[in-house]
Amino acid sequence: MPQPITDIYLPRQARVEQIEIENSQISTFVLAFSDRPYNDAFRYQPGQFMLVSMPHCGEAPISISSTPTRPGSIHLSVRRAGKLTAAMHGLRVGDTIGLRGPYGRPFPMEQLHGKDLLFVAGGIGLAPLRAVINTCLNQRDQFGALTVLYGSRTPSDIAFENDLSQWQKQGVDCRLTVDAPEPGWDGAVGLVTSLLDDVKPELDKSIALICGPPLMFRAVLGKLASMGFSDHQVLTTMERHMKCGVGICRHCHMDGKLACVDGPVFSLAELRRLRIMELEGC
Amino acid sequence: MPHAAAVTSSHLLKKDHLKGFLRKLAKEYRLVAPVRNRHGDVLFTVIDDLDAVEIELNEPPQNSLKQFFLPQQEQISTYTITPEGYDFQPTQAIIPPTVYFGVHPCDLSAVLYMDVVFSRQQRDPFYLRRRQGSVLIGINCNSPAPNCFCNATGSGPFLEMGSDLQLTDLGDRFLVEAGRTPGHGLIDRWQGFFAPSTDKDRAAHYQTFLEARGRFSRQVHVEQAIRRLEAGTVPEQVWKDLSLRCQDCGGCAYLCPTCTCFTISDQQLDATSGQRLRSWDACTFAGFTAMAGGHNPVQAKTGAIRQRFIHKLRDDVRLTGRPSCVGCGRCVSICFGGTDIVRFVERACQGSL
Repeated sequence: MPQPITDIYLPRQARVEQIEIENSQISTFVLAFSDRPYNDAFRYQPGQFMLVSMPHCGEAPISISSTPTRPGSIHLSVRRAGKLTAAMHGLRVGDTIGLRGPYGRPFPMEQLHGKDLLFVAGGIGLAPLRAVINTCLNQRDQFGALTVLYGSRTPSDIAFENDLSQWQKQGVDCRLTVDAPEPGWDGAVGLVTSLLDDVKPELDKSIALICGPPLMFRAVLGKLASMGFSDHQVLTTMERHMKCGVGICRHCHMDGKLACVDGPVFSLAELRRLRIMELEGC
Repeated sequence: MPHAAAVTSSHLLKKDHLKGFLRKLAKEYRLVAPVRNRHGDVLFTVIDDLDAVEIELNEPPQNSLKQFFLPQQEQISTYTITPEGYDFQPTQAIIPPTVYFGVHPCDLSAVLYMDVVFSRQQRDPFYLRRRQGSVLIGINCNSPAPNCFCNATGSGPFLEMGSDLQLTDLGDRFLVEAGRTPGHGLIDRWQGFFAPSTDKDRAAHYQTFLEARGRFSRQVHVEQAIRRLEAGTVPEQVWKDLSLRCQDCGGCAYLCPTCTCFTISDQQLDATSGQRLRSWDACTFAGFTAMAGGHNPVQAKTGAIRQRFIHKLRDDVRLTGRPSCVGCGRCVSICFGGTDIVRFVERACQGSL
């Protein structure tokens, strides 16, 4: 007899518990499933993503920016980009959304044990890395030195300021840069690659984790290569259009791989084998 | 679908007895078979009255079985927005047990491929509910149509496994092979319609197979194209030329029995409710990979065209050991831009044969 098959496409209701406004375009939504036992048992890993439903907007994949070492709620840091994310920016505390997941291959945390980690992010790209950084801080003795290089367009665009100052206090070497300064900014100006000039990672025990727009990504790859990083020492997480999230609909195809199930986290060595836009001309 | 392995046995069904057998089946199952409609088209159709239709087993149907397992559009949930919040309700379509009769080897191979797609990574409830309780009765192809090339994709003209019952037209009778448990069950249940087959019948079956194999009018070098894709030796110009000719109509993907890419979208019904729909999509459409805000990681049309062919002829070969093109030739007949898979294979193999 056929067994009942779980409806993998059915979202569950989650409630907005808190909203952190990161900048004019990015907010972090603190969410909990309305079904409390489900919420308590819910687990995920850094680098995984959720599919978010908003009324009449369909679904969009959003990476989880909270850390699994602090269970009880899920953080989704969302940049206003299209219809669904614009609707999310209209949410208030107490409102409900639909969620399914977690999906995707996470960051290989065990492989990072004992390593110095160099995080390089641009804009909203810090969101998935935030999950890794906070996990490292919650298991501090498992990891070596932590460095965060973060690029924003202008000082007003700097997101995750609370996190950055908190990380700094906890001994993370956080360095910021902006593409264009504003009055009162006395920090670095220039691409995030310029921050790499000032860090001296110990190559034999370092791993770089990158997330940001394609132009930044390519520039950072070039810089890391010139510093001596091998393709196996560079990890990233890819952004793609997705519908099913479970490897069937194929919207997130990447030259034979699917971002939703084979990724979204990849090593650069894995990506080099694929013909993808992010690596064109690299 | 998992079925207990069974030894193949063969029987005879006189053509005079076919309608009687189908009548019995139709009492317990919904019956779907290729029917010639009043416009002259042959289409897989749900048959309500066996006496009112003409079942056509020689001419390949214009549609495949895809629409019966993955409808062009289907509701996958409904949602409501109430003071208590935004909530989803599951959709559970009731699918009657169905006999698909007269399925050509290409379309049968396509269903077996879809079984992998919809259960490999995750079990897709909507597909599997339709597939469970389905009975496939195949018919081997004695006369491949002009665009057919299943001989080059390993999916015809005769199949020895995959269906529940497999028929071969021997003139005044069908040789019926039962390869799987449900097929044996059908023969046991209605054994009055069947007679034992003899060595002579089995010899006629083999003779028919040999003749069918010699009747293909096309020679399509699929294996060669697969090798060139895997080696990365298909010239860039091939993708460029094909993409210039693709009219972005999606006809190939819609007619293709193995194109299963889909999209999910919401349809608002009123201010406080709506339904979530799953619909066919096509990787050749410009918006297939576009992200919110308009950025598209597959920027050129050449990338989309390339995706169509590397998926079928490279990635699925890596995954399942065989291409997911089943050689039915439907895209050849529908594509007015000349961007179909046969044209691709010909271009990809140029200068290498």
